[in-house]
Amino acid sequence: MKLNAKPLERRLQLAGILIILSLLVEVFSLLWNRPLAFLAYIAAGGFLLSAGVLVYLYSLVTFNTSEPSTPDQTRP
Amino acid sequence: MISPTLFLWMLIVLSILLAFIFVVRPSVTTTRGGKILAFVVLFILPVLCAAMGTSQHIENSKQTKFCLSCHIMEPYGKSLLVDDPSYLAAAHYQNHRVPPEQACYTCHTDYTLYGDVHSKLRGLRHVYINYLSKPAQPIRLYSAYNNRECLHCHLGARSFEQGAVHNVDPATLPAIKANQLSCLSSGCHATVHNVEQLNNVKFWKAAQ
Repeated sequence: MKLNAKPLERRLQLAGILIILSLLVEVFSLLWNRPLAFLAYIAAGGFLLSAGVLVYLYSLVTFNTSEPSTPDQTRP
Repeated sequence: MISPTLFLWMLIVLSILLAFIFVVRPSVTTTRGGKILAFVVLFILPVLCAAMGTSQHIENSKQTKFCLSCHIMEPYGKSLLVDDPSYLAAAHYQNHRVPPEQACYTCHTDYTLYGDVHSKLRGLRHVYINYLSKPAQPIRLYSAYNNRECLHCHLGARSFEQGAVHNVDPATLPAIKANQLSCLSSGCHATVHNVEQLNNVKFWKAAQ
């Protein structure tokens, strides 16, 4: 999948991908139900989730309102 | 009523589907609704899924089959099916004195304020030793078995409080309650798992 050219949208895409991967790790670990699955959940799942959420939060705090984007259609 | 497990699965599937929207169309965040949705999907839902997933993992780790999934624990699982009432673990397991699906956890957790936390930390230590170190042979508890774990259920029970052997000497019962006289190592209930004797015992056929 090609990432978007706009920095904000690219970061949101990246955050989405990381969060989907973390949720897939969670699904896998819950299905496997072994001690190693718990460690995989904590290590890999925790890392991916933290990274995804941090990328999202970073995209919020670094969002530049002057950045060109599609106008808000819901506003008058 | 939806069970917590089913709710978690539904939440994970919903979160994946919604997060996928932001992967294929991140431009939805240009609207106010899209921004709110992004906050829910990329922050609230993943954190909720992680919290519920951790809770589910902790619940799963209490299961007997979870403990017995490690090869080294197989003899201990087998000892639960010994056809001999003097085998303490087997008698408790077979007569449902402990929940069979949480047999290991029920007897091997600490019944203290942070008992659950200590149990889980011990569990992580087990995993470390099992995969990255060499487990002791035979396996030993890290510390002496505390009577508190037995008394969690037996304290106040008629068979314990008025048991003939417990009351032969008036000092016995207080000593047991104060953990000064061990239920196990005093010799009274010394046959617990005894995995080294498993080749010489009969097994409960109904469970096989």
